[in-house]
Amino acid sequence: MSEKTIERPTTDEAALAKELEAEEKAAARQASLLRDGWADLRKRPLFILSALVIVCLLALAIAPSLFTARSPFSNGFCQLQNSMNGPGSGHLFGFDVQGCDIYTRTVYGTRNSIVVGVVTTIATTLIGGLLGMLAGLIGGWVDMLLSRITEVFSALPIIIGGLLIMSIWRTGDVWTVSFIMAILGWPQVFRIMRGEVISNKYNDYVMAARALGADSWRIAFRHILPNTLAPVIVITTMNLGVYISAEAALSYLGIGIQSPNISWGLMISDAQDRFLTSPHALLFPAGALSLTVLAFIMLGDVVRDAFDPKMR
Amino acid sequence: MRTVRTVKRLAWAACATAGALAAAACGGGAGSGGSGAVLSSSWGDPQNPLEPANTNEVQGGKVLDMVFRGLKRYDPRTGKAKNMLAERIETTDSRDFTITVKDGWKFSNGEPVTAKSFVDAWNYGASLRNNQKNAYFFGYIEGYDKVHPETGAQSADTLSGLKVTGPRTFTVRLNQKFSTFPDTLGYAAFDPLPSTFFTDHEGWIAKPVGNGPYRIESYTRGSAMNLKKWDGYPGPDKARNDGVTLLVYTDNNTAYTDVLAGNLDLVDDVPATQLKNVRTDLNGRYINTPAGIIQTLAFPYYDPKWNTPGARKVRTGLSMAINRKQITDTIFRGTRTPATDWTSPVLGADGGYKAGLCGKACTYDPAQARRLVREGGGLPGGQVRITYNADTGSHKQWVDAVCNSINNALGNDKACVGNPVGTFADFRNQITQHKMSGPFRAGWQMDYPLIQDFLQPLYYTNASSNDGKWSDKRFDHLVDQANAEGDPARAVQLFQQAEGVVRDNMAAIPLWYQNGSAGYTDRLHDVALNPFSVPVYDEIRVG
Repeated sequence: MSEKTIERPTTDEAALAKELEAEEKAAARQASLLRDGWADLRKRPLFILSALVIVCLLALAIAPSLFTARSPFSNGFCQLQNSMNGPGSGHLFGFDVQGCDIYTRTVYGTRNSIVVGVVTTIATTLIGGLLGMLAGLIGGWVDMLLSRITEVFSALPIIIGGLLIMSIWRTGDVWTVSFIMAILGWPQVFRIMRGEVISNKYNDYVMAARALGADSWRIAFRHILPNTLAPVIVITTMNLGVYISAEAALSYLGIGIQSPNISWGLMISDAQDRFLTSPHALLFPAGALSLTVLAFIMLGDVVRDAFDPKMR
Repeated sequence: MRTVRTVKRLAWAACATAGALAAAACGGGAGSGGSGAVLSSSWGDPQNPLEPANTNEVQGGKVLDMVFRGLKRYDPRTGKAKNMLAERIETTDSRDFTITVKDGWKFSNGEPVTAKSFVDAWNYGASLRNNQKNAYFFGYIEGYDKVHPETGAQSADTLSGLKVTGPRTFTVRLNQKFSTFPDTLGYAAFDPLPSTFFTDHEGWIAKPVGNGPYRIESYTRGSAMNLKKWDGYPGPDKARNDGVTLLVYTDNNTAYTDVLAGNLDLVDDVPATQLKNVRTDLNGRYINTPAGIIQTLAFPYYDPKWNTPGARKVRTGLSMAINRKQITDTIFRGTRTPATDWTSPVLGADGGYKAGLCGKACTYDPAQARRLVREGGGLPGGQVRITYNADTGSHKQWVDAVCNSINNALGNDKACVGNPVGTFADFRNQITQHKMSGPFRAGWQMDYPLIQDFLQPLYYTNASSNDGKWSDKRFDHLVDQANAEGDPARAVQLFQQAEGVVRDNMAAIPLWYQNGSAGYTDRLHDVALNPFSVPVYDEIRVG
């Protein structure tokens, strides 16, 4: 009798092992889907191009002092007598209204743009992803509540929200701007995540795992999450560029990063009213901004092409 | 001696943008009717109905200057107050004045202008229940505290200091000695009003009737106002053209390009972005003359950090660390003039303007600036934050430039930073709630071209535009003396001595005088701006 009682669990164990194996296989298939995507990506010239640009930008953001001998925060950096002088020797991009070297400021402005983009993207992905998953998995009143909250946040235009928050804080730097955009940007990720989770929730393999007694956390993280990742990766990569340009827009309007911090949007705003007489002060930061946004959007585009199952 | 209440007047930057909300009426060209000698001029809708005592912004003021004449008028060139409707203004003690109105003046509806026209208008303007923006102008007249108390309900309807003594004479009793009071009477708030203003107020608002060289023909909000020359005008300054069409523009860049294209005759306030090319564009048809506006940096004396003998040296040091010439040349392209006193060049030397009164304290000298700041115990809090409003008047550029200048002079890149406040209203609220911790932007547009107006409302103890709550017994005493002084030249001297006290304490750092500008087409001749930067329309000849 005792032998039998021991035997039964062993058969169960065997079944469980089988189930685990199947699970691992599914995971491997998932991994190979990612691997497939990656293999696909590497072959795309657009990917290589945008990746190159992004690597350069990251280098600029991490170590701006390697690219310029001057520091925009050193004393005597801005000399008013140089105001609006055009590009010349030693000053590749010329000077702005205050007589500051535009090249140095553009280089130092890279970090803020990239940091805002990355921080906002991570924050929106975490908040939106987590809440989206909860809403999708639990459903019922939790889903109801979270969805309504999402609607409240997404109904608030970013400019008005930005004005509101800035009027409370009064000072603007990288973190406040990231905060504003994360607070107002997460609903998009939430919706995608929630939709994906709901559509995956009733798939056969989830049902199977559930039937085999896997607990909810295991199902959520081993079965559902990997299958929802691809669309979220796509949307976040594309959003990175969007957030960088939104930062510039907020700073341009005076509700984003504020001087003495450097931001391309701020530089554009400062240069705009003299654009007709001295366009260089606007064109260089605007060019840097366009290039950066373009690189990230292009990356997002190829990532979508590679990963989105519907595109295959 | 009581101080006189004056409303905060730092609103000039906001005023310039007032009424810029309606749709632009480009095209159109010169007026209707086809009369050749009518000129068109850029304009913005007035903020309020055109009641003289309720108009404190420049666009409404422009119209009032055409359709009204007061007891005095400021000479368009010298700024001196000259008798217009006043035959005589007599006083023996600088406190009781007897005013005689000239005979033969009429409103354009035929009603004669009498002493009562003035007294009724002033009582209307002062009364709390009419809620007139310029009510504080009547604050010098006895009984003002009854008709316009600071709090609570009014206990009188009319000013006890005003009495009609004859068809053309009335007396004014002031609540303090104020020898230059007659010279304030050129301001629009003191204009006379016809009886229809009181009997048919709605009708009057719809089509204001005045006693000036022009009559209002029609007004369409957001589009245009047509003014016609009043042929029956009895005054000496008859219009030399047939009329003026004021066209509403929301963007003075558009107005400027319309002048270049010949669709508009006159644009006042040439946009900053066009200043580089304006002289060649308009072939010399460009005016750039000082206006009665001075920009300063004020300080919070309610903050003990700034109210020490050492802080006085620091302020002087900061003043000497600002390279005014370079900033006015590059940031403002010469449309500001570096300030060397606390008044304005439009006053003229007789009126109290004294170039160089500030002396060395306003001259750029980095070494001396460093020394003074060090001797004064360094910058309070280690850093000065210049507070300004970010929404109007592109203040950021000059604040950044001033800060760079201070940083470079003091050899410390953290010595000065700008501290923008989102909106003008919030900026003003923070100032009136005494929340400033360092210097803040202050702009003062004169109400009338008198040195008194540049000093008393701003630096007299508890004067209500004394936003920094600066207080100095010697200054107050000199101002009191000046107000009691019957001889104008002597009064000016006393005011200048008081200004010397402001300098010695560097109560506020003078930055620069603002200029007024205008551009016009070759159809126009004799174009000039008055001390308030408003074109002198009646003198313009067309053709």
